[in-house]
Amino acid sequence: MRVIDYTIEPPVVEGNPSLSSINESIIKPLESKPTRGWYIAISISLTMLLIGAISLGVTLWKGVGVWGVNQPVGWGFDIVNFVFWVGIGHAGTLISAILFLLRQRWRTSIARFAEAMTIFAVMCAGLFPLIHTGRPWLDGYLLPYPNQHALWVNFTSPLLWDVFAVSTYFTVSLVFWYIGLIPDLATLRDRTTNKILKTIYSILSLGWRHSGRHWQHYEMAYLILAGFATPLVLSVHTIVSFDFAVSIMPGWHTTIFPPYFVAGAVFSGFAMVQNVLIIIRKVFRIEHIITLDTLEKMNKVMLATGMMVGYAYAMEFFIAWYSGNPIEQFVFLNRALGPYAWAYWTMVTCNVLFPQLFWFRKFRRSIPVMFIVAVFVNVGMWFERFVIVVTTLSRDYLPSSWGMYIPSIYDIGILIGSFGLFFTLIFLFIRTLPVVSIAEVKAVLNSSQPSHGGNH
Amino acid sequence: MSMEQTLLQKKSLPDKFKKISFLIFGIGLLTVIISFFVDSHRFAFNYNILFSFLVSIALGNMFLFAIEYLAGAVWSTVFRRINEIFISFVPFVMVIGIVVLLEMHSIFHWTYKDVLENDEIVRGKTPYLNETFFIIRFFVYTLVWTLFAYFMRKNSLKQDTTYDQNLTYRNSKLSAFFIPIFAITITFFAIDYLMSTEPHWFSTIFGVYYFSGTVLSALAILTVVSILLHERSYFDKILKPDHFYNLGALLFAFVNFWAYIAFSQFLLIWYANLPEETFWMIHRWENGWEIFSFILIFGHFLIPYFALLSQQAKSNLNRLKIVSIWLLIMHYVDIYWLTMPSGFKQLVFGWIELGFIVFCVGIIMILFYYRYERMKNIIPVGDPKLKRSLEFKL
Repeated sequence: MRVIDYTIEPPVVEGNPSLSSINESIIKPLESKPTRGWYIAISISLTMLLIGAISLGVTLWKGVGVWGVNQPVGWGFDIVNFVFWVGIGHAGTLISAILFLLRQRWRTSIARFAEAMTIFAVMCAGLFPLIHTGRPWLDGYLLPYPNQHALWVNFTSPLLWDVFAVSTYFTVSLVFWYIGLIPDLATLRDRTTNKILKTIYSILSLGWRHSGRHWQHYEMAYLILAGFATPLVLSVHTIVSFDFAVSIMPGWHTTIFPPYFVAGAVFSGFAMVQNVLIIIRKVFRIEHIITLDTLEKMNKVMLATGMMVGYAYAMEFFIAWYSGNPIEQFVFLNRALGPYAWAYWTMVTCNVLFPQLFWFRKFRRSIPVMFIVAVFVNVGMWFERFVIVVTTLSRDYLPSSWGMYIPSIYDIGILIGSFGLFFTLIFLFIRTLPVVSIAEVKAVLNSSQPSHGGNH
Repeated sequence: MSMEQTLLQKKSLPDKFKKISFLIFGIGLLTVIISFFVDSHRFAFNYNILFSFLVSIALGNMFLFAIEYLAGAVWSTVFRRINEIFISFVPFVMVIGIVVLLEMHSIFHWTYKDVLENDEIVRGKTPYLNETFFIIRFFVYTLVWTLFAYFMRKNSLKQDTTYDQNLTYRNSKLSAFFIPIFAITITFFAIDYLMSTEPHWFSTIFGVYYFSGTVLSALAILTVVSILLHERSYFDKILKPDHFYNLGALLFAFVNFWAYIAFSQFLLIWYANLPEETFWMIHRWENGWEIFSFILIFGHFLIPYFALLSQQAKSNLNRLKIVSIWLLIMHYVDIYWLTMPSGFKQLVFGWIELGFIVFCVGIIMILFYYRYERMKNIIPVGDPKLKRSLEFKL
């Protein structure tokens, strides 16, 4: 049996590095020339972005008819991708706000990156409903403002609630991220010798001088924003789930949708953060800051949220039977045995079965295993949205109007493009801003906490 | 460590407490017995509510116990013995629950032969909703919960003398297994005892709804008992406002969580407006039952929300004490609201219901008295996290 010492708090950062070495290891990538690997990576992501841009261009030129959507499946890849990306965008604020309120110190090393990822993911997500409207140049009318055309939004539609929820979420996440960046921007300002960079950092760091009074205000602002962001994180995916659940479509209208979507979002968000961080910590050589312990904790969160998602699948199935409603029962049998059964079983395998490996400590701490499982989770969570959107729409109440949905090349192109956008933004981010919050990591070093631990 | 040594001597509860407990229990029991002869239908429904409430208290504390181990929480270690007292209620609560099985025909109309003959929907559910399987499930819940309660407490109590860190590890493992089993059993418990009182109605979130109330009531009883003991120096003043702050914050979080789940369920049913679901809500919005719906909106959410919102409120012991008692009442009202309208078209509330509440308080006090007296100490003195827990600062 493994012996763990519970009397001491496990260190967040390994090896007790000095304060200046923390600065060095986090800032170094920003001050050195990009490596060849970085160029290769961004070339790939830019190519993907280009594929997306072309597909989108064709769509705008010819109209959404080039997509695979049809009657009865009016929602296809665009909505699937929207929900997928909003989901990915959930880990960031969960880590930075909710784990902050829960005083989980291990969040410090991953919070900055996860927040940045949130912002990029929400950008990708926001793209889809905008193009899904078919005539994106009229999207301004999504915002309720008095206009000559007397056009007014439908406040009873959850699609409009999405507009507010997602834009609020994006704004608050951005502010939260930026507030957290200020002390680090000041550090960068103080280090750089480049005049242009110094001016940029000076403007962005808002005159931060690391004074005690600054910190005091900073901490209060951070706490308030965390409190503010917490209900927002939960509300965004709740409202996304309302898009489906307020309708009377079988398979969509079920009361567990709000918490189930939130759990799924956290699940996929953690998987994406973990996937990208595994590479970054290796490339940047910051394995002692983003430690294996931290990754293990993330895997535990994935195990827990994965089981919540599994619980929801099971509950939907059980209640569909229990309800005695034949249409509801059909939908679930159709999911498991119908034409899209392959998607359903992909979803179940990736989301419920594979994460069970994380019951074992050996797998929780194995980088290859966790990487593969997290990739599976991302695939599975994308398929979850596909299953929800497509299986329900393709076979609704009236068998004579049943249809099949097959994505067109442009659908796939735009999906690839969204990944291209996401990774391009990430690659730019890791070259321009510190991927780990320098100030926060310093605060959780054992040497900075005289009351903790004994080895100082 | 001198502090731990002083804590080894646990103070006994005063005899007065025992007498009052028995008095309350006696009054409650008498009313309950009389009510059985006056109105056995109402007796049965109330008894089911009482049972579900007691399950909430016991199981909710098991959940808190497991989460402490799984999250590696430190601050809560000082409170764990109180958790354990309520966990040890499990077998007694399940014995109390046997009466629900005996009174099944008064509560669950899916047990009636004529209903099964005439009602196609209820008939369709018989593979799940039938008496034999219902009784089997009762014993499965009893067995699973009792075993977990037994082993969790056993490991924790053993640590008092052995100071063995491995026991913490073992309990963490046990907790990891407990959580999924807990999720499944509590969901089906909620479906069986609460949702199936109206066998036509269904809601996938129902298990989560009951869970939210369960955890909230467990937190509330933990808070109020800890504060009462703390104020009477049972903890030797080792607990600081920071410890209670955490309980306050969690209470606040679960007040919100309950409201979130309740609102989700309500909004989706209201918006979709399908008669097969709305009738349940409508029924709770007419014939006097709307009073209870309003009580829940204000009492279970808005009032405790504002009472706990500010930072100071979360470590204000008087405030916490009152809010906790209030929330316990609200959880009882919540279960009442979930089940009672299923059996009664018109609002019923009177001496029978009050008698059951008195009975419930009496049961909890007596069980608490005896379980407390059997405990050797009031904090887990052998727990390796205890020192950090005592030193805990926000």
